Amino acid sequence: MNLNGQEVVFYLLAGATLGSAALVIAARNPINSAMSLVATFFFLAGLYAQLLAHTIAVLQVLVYAGAIMVLFLFVIMLLSLTDLGEPVRRVTFSRVVGGAAAAGLLMVLVAGVSRWQATSVENLPPGSKAFGTLEAVGGLLYARWILPFEVVSLLLLVAMVGAVVVAKPRI
Amino acid sequence: MHLPGSQVAIQNYLLVAALLFCMGMLGVLVRRNALVVFMSIELMLNASNLTFLAFARDRLDITGHLAALFVIAVAAAEAAIGLAIVIAVFRNRGTVNVEDIRTMKY
Amino acid sequence: MDTSSWWTTAWANPKALSASLWLIIALPALGAVVCGLLGKTLGRTYVNLIACATVLGSLFLSAFCFQAVTDPSALVLSPASGTGVRFALAGDFGTWFSAGSFVAHYGLWVDRLTATMLLVITGVGFLIHLYSTGYMEHDEGYWRFFSYLNLFMAMMLTLVMADNLVLLFVGWEGVGLCSYLLIGYYYTDAEKAWYGRKAFIYNRVGDCAFIVAMMLIVVTVTAYAQSPANDTQLFAWKQRKTMWTRAVADPGPLNFQVLEEFARVLPASPVTGNTNVLETAIPSGPLAGFSYGGTLTVIFLLLLLGATGKSAQLPLYVWLPDAMAGPTPVSALIHAATMVTAGVYMLCRMSPLLVLCPRAMAVVAVVGAVTALFAALIAFAQDDMKKILAYSTISQLGYMFLGVGVGVFWAAILHLVTHACFKGCLFLSAGSVMHGNADELDIKRLGGLSKTMRWTTWCFGIATLAITGIVPLSGFFSKDDILDGALHAHVAGAPWVGTTVYTLGMVGAVATAFYMSRLFLLAFTGERSKEARTPHAHESGWVMVAPLVILAGLSVLLISHGIPGLINVLARWFPSWVQAPPGEPQTLMQIFLKSVFDVSDKLALQVKSVTLGHVAVPVVLLYVFGWVVAVAGGAVAYVLYKRVFPARAGQPVPPLFAAVRSFTVHKFYVDELYDGLIIRPIKYLAIGLYRVVDQLVIDTAAVAVAWIIGRVGSLLRYVQSGNAQAYAAAMAVGLLVGVGYALFQVIAR
Repeated sequence: MNLNGQEVVFYLLAGATLGSAALVIAARNPINSAMSLVATFFFLAGLYAQLLAHTIAVLQVLVYAGAIMVLFLFVIMLLSLTDLGEPVRRVTFSRVVGGAAAAGLLMVLVAGVSRWQATSVENLPPGSKAFGTLEAVGGLLYARWILPFEVVSLLLLVAMVGAVVVAKPRI
Repeated sequence: MHLPGSQVAIQNYLLVAALLFCMGMLGVLVRRNALVVFMSIELMLNASNLTFLAFARDRLDITGHLAALFVIAVAAAEAAIGLAIVIAVFRNRGTVNVEDIRTMKY
Repeated sequence: MDTSSWWTTAWANPKALSASLWLIIALPALGAVVCGLLGKTLGRTYVNLIACATVLGSLFLSAFCFQAVTDPSALVLSPASGTGVRFALAGDFGTWFSAGSFVAHYGLWVDRLTATMLLVITGVGFLIHLYSTGYMEHDEGYWRFFSYLNLFMAMMLTLVMADNLVLLFVGWEGVGLCSYLLIGYYYTDAEKAWYGRKAFIYNRVGDCAFIVAMMLIVVTVTAYAQSPANDTQLFAWKQRKTMWTRAVADPGPLNFQVLEEFARVLPASPVTGNTNVLETAIPSGPLAGFSYGGTLTVIFLLLLLGATGKSAQLPLYVWLPDAMAGPTPVSALIHAATMVTAGVYMLCRMSPLLVLCPRAMAVVAVVGAVTALFAALIAFAQDDMKKILAYSTISQLGYMFLGVGVGVFWAAILHLVTHACFKGCLFLSAGSVMHGNADELDIKRLGGLSKTMRWTTWCFGIATLAITGIVPLSGFFSKDDILDGALHAHVAGAPWVGTTVYTLGMVGAVATAFYMSRLFLLAFTGERSKEARTPHAHESGWVMVAPLVILAGLSVLLISHGIPGLINVLARWFPSWVQAPPGEPQTLMQIFLKSVFDVSDKLALQVKSVTLGHVAVPVVLLYVFGWVVAVAGGAVAYVLYKRVFPARAGQPVPPLFAAVRSFTVHKFYVDELYDGLIIRPIKYLAIGLYRVVDQLVIDTAAVAVAWIIGRVGSLLRYVQSGNAQAYAAAMAVGLLVGVGYALFQVIAR
């Protein structure tokens, strides 16, 4: 089998990602799930880098693994959920249906992906910055996509205020 | 500027993303701990991010990166609020087991 | 200018009057709305003022209209014939509705007939409004009363001023509605409310026949309009027919001018003497194959049925005596002077067509005469004063129908006018008696009122003399004009009709004299009955007495219009003012209404449906005979009630007389007959339908549907389990289906 270097890297990273993702949904202890999720994020950042999405890879590590997972761990420890396990896995009708739906969706998606034809482009338009760099992303973000950017900042403000209000014991 | 196509076929990335998505969906529908459900949701969001970035690499269109950026931002907001709600529910009910929170029952 | 033209020139411009005819109807309608909506807050004084003022306004306008139609320059262009119609005012206020080729207009028409009716309605109406302000002074719902009364005036005025049958029917129904509202005015008494419904239902039966007749007329007229114009060979007739055909499309086939022209065009042309179009078959349409004459006869029999419902003739008269449950002014206005005359008016309006059907005319005359006698016989044994007067009304209306049936339309209208005056006076006097005797109506419990209620007694007495037909009063002349016309009339196909109805009418006159004298003698003369409710009666206030006096006076003065030959006498004494028409002596009313009924008279002569024959007896002898008959009836009553019965007081009544009296008191059991033959079967049918179809079938079906939905809902609610993951699983399944479908579409393409 002829594998080039990139493919090897890809298989390693992909295998690791899927493995830790499986651990996330299978682990009994929520702390284990959280740590597995962190690992997943790191391996995903690797995949992003391979896709030449350097900026996004960095942001993935900074925001997702660095901030969001910290938040998760804080909540788990605050609520002392480390002792809570799930002794019995019950098989209910809705769970079977959910599992079947997920499996079915997987089959459909795989079928769709395998039929997709790549439409590769190999030339960047003249005068554009290197692909995936901060300069390129930033240039587009603050030029054409300034409005969604501002709206997202508003969204974050709302989320902040909402989180504070909801989590307070007494308003 | 010439950028040769990816040496790894883009379909592979899409397959990984599909697998991640379905694993996340399975977690949402099956797990009983609310926090694990949230984490599964984050998995699904990341799968969609991977898809965006794979297509962006294929078409050399940087708009995909911007989409992924916005997804990350929205995921952050959603995580914040969702966890605040989990805290509030835990304070009221004493549990984060989704099967025990059934006030909308008939 | 000479003095005669002062009267005959219109005081108000006829064109301006024509354009403002709608005001006559609008004023009472406005009064009705204001009194109805704001009456309670306005208070008694203002309601009285508004109600009487609106009618007074209509009276003034009607007086101007009456005067204007004596002006020869009051000319209206008839759309049907293209020629001018003299002595008329007309206003067309737009198209009301059109359905296919049928169209109806808001059109108002005032000719001499309408002007007469207008004066009667608004004049007697105003007097009764004035009377009611006194009569209803202790009643709490006075504002409702005046609102209904004004509405009635508006509807009745619409009826008489309408220029087509559809608008007339609107007024026809409207007065029926107001009659129901006013009879059932004391609605808290269930029996009185039921009598209101009874009146409405019997009216409705007549209205049903009226509507069918209208439909038949439309079909006949449009069929004739579509037939080719060569059924008359004379060129001028052909021209007229073309113009008329256009008029059928525009003012509509039920316009009275169109119908009058139809009557003129339909029979054979007098010059060429074609085959009688009346016998030919209708060429097209739903009635194809039937003859014009036969169809017209059926139409008029149906219209007669409608008129019997409204004017209380056989067979639909039974509502009128029970309608006395309403307040007395209502009885006076509606059931004596105005609404019940609507049938007579309608037949007179249709007179050009009526004279083409001698068979229908014979039926009308016979119905009128039989009703006149029948009602008079029932009145013999009634003890309730208002019931006696009600049967008297039915009887007098029978005389009017008699007149219409034999072709002396002017005499029927004259009797209508005089009857309005003296019957109105009688009813208002009865109301005055009730007012002064704590609402006592039984004449056996009254008596001796002449000592305490002087004015009422005198007015009642004068009106009684008028109705029985004693000489120097108007009732004598109007009734005799009708009966003389009947005797001279020769109806084609039924030559016995004239003398038969004359005989019946004379017997009816005897009966009228008898029961009216009985009423007067028992109630007003003699000693006060020991069973009276109050020890003394008191006279009513001027507000109630003044209309009595005015109406009694009119009963006397209106002889002017009934005396034949009066105009010749006046022409000899005042030649500059009056010109007498040539020919045999005519009455003033006949001359006045000539412009309206000339068409009918000429048509009757042309088709020889009703002709005036010769009677061997001179006119004066006939008048003497009529007077003798009336006096005889009165004398019999006097003898019986003053001498014979008081002498036999205390002795047992012979069983035959008791049986007869019982039969008569129960109104010959006609109500019971209707109840058993018609009302009970329908009621049982309705109950059966209700129990079986409504309750068993329909209700069960409806309840079953509701039950099914309930059960399905109870089952479906288990889906709401409260488990968020179950909901999410359902969503995932939906997502899967959607994605699968999308992919399938893409792949399949």
